[in-house]
Amino acid sequence: MLAYAIRRVCIAAVLVWIIATLVFLAIRLVPGDPAELLLSQGGIAPDPASVAELRDKLGLDVPILQQYVSYLTGLLHGNLGASLLDDHPVAAEIALRLPRTLELIAAAALLAIAFGLPAGTLAALRAGGAADRVLSGTAGIALSIPVFVVGTIAILVFAQKLRWVPAGGYVPLGRDPLQHFLVLAMPAGTIALGLAAVIFRMTRSSVLEVLGRDYVRAARARGIAPARIVLHHVLRNALIPVVTVVGLHLGSLLGGTVLVEYVFNWPGLSGYLVRAVEQRDYPEVTGIVLVISILFVLLNLLVDLLYAVLDPRVRHA
Amino acid sequence: MSGRAARQLLVPGILVGAIIVIALIVPLLPLPDPIRMEVSARLLPPSAMHPLGQDEYGRDVLSRVLWGARTSLVVASLAAASAAIAGTLLGLLGGYFRGFVELLTVRSAEIILCFPPILLALLVVTLAGPGAGTLVIALSFLYLPGFVRVCFAETLAVRTLDYVTAQEALGAHPGRILMRTILPNVAPSLLVQLSLTVASALVLESGLSFLGLGVVPPAPSWGLMIRGARSTMEQAPWLLLWPCLALAGAVIALNLLCDRLRDVFDPRTRSLGWLARATIALLPRSAPPAEKPSLMQVAGLTVELDTPTGTVPLVRDISLTLAPGETLAIVGESGSGKTLTALALLGLLPPSVRLTGGVLLFRARGGRVQDLARLSEPELRRLQGDEIAMVFQDAGSSLNPVHRVGKQVAEAIRAHRPAAWSAAMARAVSLLREVGLPDAEQRVRSFPHELSGGQRQRVMIAAAVANNPRLLIADEPTTALDVTIQAQVLALFATLKTRAEGLGLIFVTHNLAVVSEIAERICVMYAGEIVEEGMAGEVLSQPRHPYTAALIASVPEGGGRLVAIPGGVPLPSALPHGCSFAPRCPRASAECSAAPPPLARIAAGRASRCIKWRELT
Repeated sequence: MLAYAIRRVCIAAVLVWIIATLVFLAIRLVPGDPAELLLSQGGIAPDPASVAELRDKLGLDVPILQQYVSYLTGLLHGNLGASLLDDHPVAAEIALRLPRTLELIAAAALLAIAFGLPAGTLAALRAGGAADRVLSGTAGIALSIPVFVVGTIAILVFAQKLRWVPAGGYVPLGRDPLQHFLVLAMPAGTIALGLAAVIFRMTRSSVLEVLGRDYVRAARARGIAPARIVLHHVLRNALIPVVTVVGLHLGSLLGGTVLVEYVFNWPGLSGYLVRAVEQRDYPEVTGIVLVISILFVLLNLLVDLLYAVLDPRVRHA
Repeated sequence: MSGRAARQLLVPGILVGAIIVIALIVPLLPLPDPIRMEVSARLLPPSAMHPLGQDEYGRDVLSRVLWGARTSLVVASLAAASAAIAGTLLGLLGGYFRGFVELLTVRSAEIILCFPPILLALLVVTLAGPGAGTLVIALSFLYLPGFVRVCFAETLAVRTLDYVTAQEALGAHPGRILMRTILPNVAPSLLVQLSLTVASALVLESGLSFLGLGVVPPAPSWGLMIRGARSTMEQAPWLLLWPCLALAGAVIALNLLCDRLRDVFDPRTRSLGWLARATIALLPRSAPPAEKPSLMQVAGLTVELDTPTGTVPLVRDISLTLAPGETLAIVGESGSGKTLTALALLGLLPPSVRLTGGVLLFRARGGRVQDLARLSEPELRRLQGDEIAMVFQDAGSSLNPVHRVGKQVAEAIRAHRPAAWSAAMARAVSLLREVGLPDAEQRVRSFPHELSGGQRQRVMIAAAVANNPRLLIADEPTTALDVTIQAQVLALFATLKTRAEGLGLIFVTHNLAVVSEIAERICVMYAGEIVEEGMAGEVLSQPRHPYTAALIASVPEGGGRLVAIPGGVPLPSALPHGCSFAPRCPRASAECSAAPPPLARIAAGRASRCIKWRELT
């Protein structure tokens, strides 16, 4: 188990390095002068003086290897550069906003698991029945509607028409805990809907498959109670592929977070990212992309470790 | 493609087709200009001129929704198509040549997967500025690894097939093999991937446009329309509705098409509509038979398979008796119905197979006689694993891979006795020691995959005998094992019998050599029926049915010539008229096919289903 964990951690570290390098190279490998590219707007050539100034700011005039070394040492010290517009350090802004994004993701994941797992199990145990058909149909639709559509409609219905919850924004936990969770409910629910549908589908098909396995029949032959068979024999095994699939969907989960934060004015990383992209503030964009991608790698690492906890065969592989 | 497949694809096919047609012909439709503003007609509700109303700049919403389909689909399809072409090429090359080419193509494309998709798109947008062209480039990059992976995996699978190897041996040019042989085989998976990608690209394009980082205004796009309608949703909520409906509808249609395509090309993933209930049929209460069995008495056991076209009998009218301490072997080829008979005794028939007749009398410990076919599920469960236990053929798949073996044995104990886990575990250790598992104290903590095949079978046996059952049913318990291990496991069964007094054993096997070692009586099954039964020694030395004789002749023993039985067991749905063995029988004559032969009592405890049993010597 320990050897497996160490290997996964090493792989994750290498991935983080690859990501950092790619982000570094992205701007330097595009054809033409990146500074000119960033400043050009609708095909109009930018003023050479501002191009030179930007080149200097981005440090593009020193040899590329030297740029790379100073970039990596900067990263190791937590330095992600500064905004092109106001020289505000990117790392400070991210440190402020990252916890809010993490909270949103965690709340959404919890909600999705709380609904998706039991619903998927129920649908599989009653496969072909009415409950299964209703749940499967709902999941198919939930899976197809883009998150920002769900979010926007949710605001229209729950905030504007019914006035149950605020339309968006953010209230710090310390100031008003009740209001904090009330504001969190809609964005988290929006992300959770699609994720719950993914978990539901995978749980359903995985449970169905495990129900047909020999060891389930063998457990029945031993007279073990159905509830125990479902919990200890079926679900325990069915969870393994579910975890894998959730891992595969982490990317779109994080992507969905970007849109949902924007829809609900959640002051996480995404609003910052969207503004940075609009203003084409390159250091800000790379900083946020780097942080979210590292988050992505870490979540994948978590999934890998969870996988080993669930499946004893993996630990030795 | 079958009619069923065509029907499945009909609805989503028509929906997706309609969306594509609209996107293509929208310039020809008599619609108002989608970008012409009319500020005085701002946010007007639907009218005759503008059936869906006018937006925040007074533009016609219907026209914008339809033109939006064109924008979205063009971006999504262009991106998906370029990703598909490049990805297929890279995947084919990587999968065909492997080695360094694989590193260059497949592994380098996978680097893209390190990033959450939307972030990479945003990175490209920052560099190149927003716009439809940027979107196509960004999206094609994103979807490239998906195609590379699918194509790579399929190519790997196809290239090892015989006909590809044969073409290589004939010296065909790799390019020709790739394009003419491998590509057509990979095509179905690519088609599924393509429709998945278009749906996903549609969502991502509208998402980026919604953020204001995709399609540039005033061009009509569903994402942009939702963005615009958001600011006015208090006054004009319907403006939000149309593009949301259009976008969700298009994605639902595409996803439905994907699901159906996958079902058609890969029937394995089609969801199975069955229940995992114990399928013991509730048979009508019948009059209790005159004689009470000393352990088990089965009469008229019939098992049928439900098919869409009706029921097919798999096991027909089986009658057995078993006394305490006796060992009965049920022998037959695969497909003879011997395993189903064993499963039916314990109420463990697979779904879709039902017990449709018979009386299964069993005398429990207290002396009470019960009919297993007429017990409720909880009543049956009290017997399963306690009074009647079963050992399955493949211990590797019959032990739960995620639980330690000791726990699985202890669980069997706790299912029937109130015992603390610690006490049950201690008992499990002593049971495992009794069945000859070496180093039992340590091995209780092992997972099944850490044990050898023989050790796993010992664990299975330990779990089966954990509650001192009165009847043990063993279904081919040695078939999956090496010959030397087989002998050890057989010896273990013999030990168990001597140790537990009165243990009845039903031993299902196709191996006559095993039978002669362990069984006192034999029941030979063929095509779902008993064809011969009697004391083991008599049946083996003097078979009274040609099938038994043929089985004995096919056992490699004593250096004699090995005689295979020609042909195979008939399908239950196509049983021959008359004797079911007649088509394979060397002695068959016209009268054999005239009528189904009855099971003739030929001596005390001896029966044969052959009308010519007297001629057999």
